Amino acid sequence: MYPNKTVALSGVSLHIQPKEFVTVVGASGAGKSTLIRLLIKEEDPTSGKIIVGSIDYDTITKANIPHLRRRIGVVFQDFKLLPNLTVYENVAFALEVSGVRTSEIKRAVPKILQLVGLAEKASNYPGEISGGEKQRVAIARALVRNPKILIADEPTGNLDPKNSWDIIELLLKINKFGTTVLLTTHNKEIVNTLKRRVITVARGRIVKDEKVGRYIL
Amino acid sequence: MITFWRILKSGCKNLFRNAWLSIAATAIMVITLVIVAFFSFSALFLQNQLQAIRNKIDLTIFIKDEATAEQTQQLSSSIKALDKVQGVTYVSKLDALERLRTSSKDGEKLAKTAIDIGNPLPASLEVKTTSLEKLSDLDAEIRKVPQANLIASSSLEDSDVRKKVVERIVQISKAVSQVGTIISVAFLVVSLLIIFNTIRMAIFTRREEIDIMKLVGATKWFIRGPFLVEGAVYGIIGAIIAIAITFPLINFAKPLFVSYFNAAEVLTFVSDRASLVVLSMFGLGIAIGVSSSYLAISRHLKL
Repeated sequence: MYPNKTVALSGVSLHIQPKEFVTVVGASGAGKSTLIRLLIKEEDPTSGKIIVGSIDYDTITKANIPHLRRRIGVVFQDFKLLPNLTVYENVAFALEVSGVRTSEIKRAVPKILQLVGLAEKASNYPGEISGGEKQRVAIARALVRNPKILIADEPTGNLDPKNSWDIIELLLKINKFGTTVLLTTHNKEIVNTLKRRVITVARGRIVKDEKVGRYIL
Repeated sequence: MITFWRILKSGCKNLFRNAWLSIAATAIMVITLVIVAFFSFSALFLQNQLQAIRNKIDLTIFIKDEATAEQTQQLSSSIKALDKVQGVTYVSKLDALERLRTSSKDGEKLAKTAIDIGNPLPASLEVKTTSLEKLSDLDAEIRKVPQANLIASSSLEDSDVRKKVVERIVQISKAVSQVGTIISVAFLVVSLLIIFNTIRMAIFTRREEIDIMKLVGATKWFIRGPFLVEGAVYGIIGAIIAIAITFPLINFAKPLFVSYFNAAEVLTFVSDRASLVVLSMFGLGIAIGVSSSYLAISRHLKL
């Protein structure tokens, strides 16, 4: 609940299976972002319970929040890359923060850049690559720590249709390797083509949850 | 360990991002350290001198030339037996001459003249008392001992002068430590504030990076660390420059002190405490830097 008594989400109850690919749709302000903020514990629910994997969020102390975030990969609409670091360094940054050894970083980062198809752009800066490529860097950064869950918060929001599809295909590939993917999007076309589980959020409530959903508001 | 190095590296990088602010922070650190060092040094030195002056001879008894060594010895032990006497030192006529020779620039000339006219300097007994307060009483008592007829005169008047000097130094040292404390505290606060703001600016320009660090799961210390390192580096660089300024300054000010105090004392006082000064400058600098930077970041770091 926000200070001026705005209720962003209420009565939301959902269960996501391991290795599932779930799309959350909803208009701006419907509560999608709040859902994600809750999942990375940027915010705490005023009431209710969140359990991811076997971790009950109520039992996580402040000091452990960073460790929780290391186990959940998050990708944002605005990429959130550091402009003064190269593609390689941006991905390596996520590992440095977790105290991973340099030799380990040198091994893991090229591998993940290969996976997202950016091996040859490793030494470029974010300003020198396209939006779609930036989002791949962000995905690489989220994946490099082998998270069980990848949360993609409107990853295609700033991209053209061609790049959007590349990103969605990358997410599907990642999901196929065994990572649970939670995608939020506005893009009707994507949702309708995906033919995966769709959760529709409106005015802070889940109004629809279908196994093979379509984008209807 | 690897995390520690990463924090250290990142902290040092920060210094160069905002070079002008870093220079300002370092400069105020230098000024503060020099001022604190100067005042604490002066206060310490005056205290030390006070002690030294108090320990000097309190009353000098001049002995008539015709007294034999045995008689003088008896006089000395009689005085030593008195209540308020801490110690008695015998200074022979030759000792007195030697002292004259080394006392000042013109000592050599004076001593020569003295020898020419047959050394008029009297032998003396230097009496140290337990308190400076009632020297005239002590003087009267000394004149009552059996061998009192050997006494030519005593330095009672001289002691009054010295008492005044002691009082004067007490006054000066009090004033120095009071003024010093006020100015030192003021500069400490100013440097704390300036470094606080420097770090805040650094945080502000890097808030995007901090947000991203939080999102990718950096711990508080990983985010905080570089800023603390930055603060500490201001302290270290500040201390190095301050030390480089302070020591020549003390050397420069030495003649000033020397004209009032004993040159040798000033020299040993400085060299005895050189390592203490160096250590405390580094300590204080790092303490100021780290604590102000800790304050600055704590307000911005909510996970």
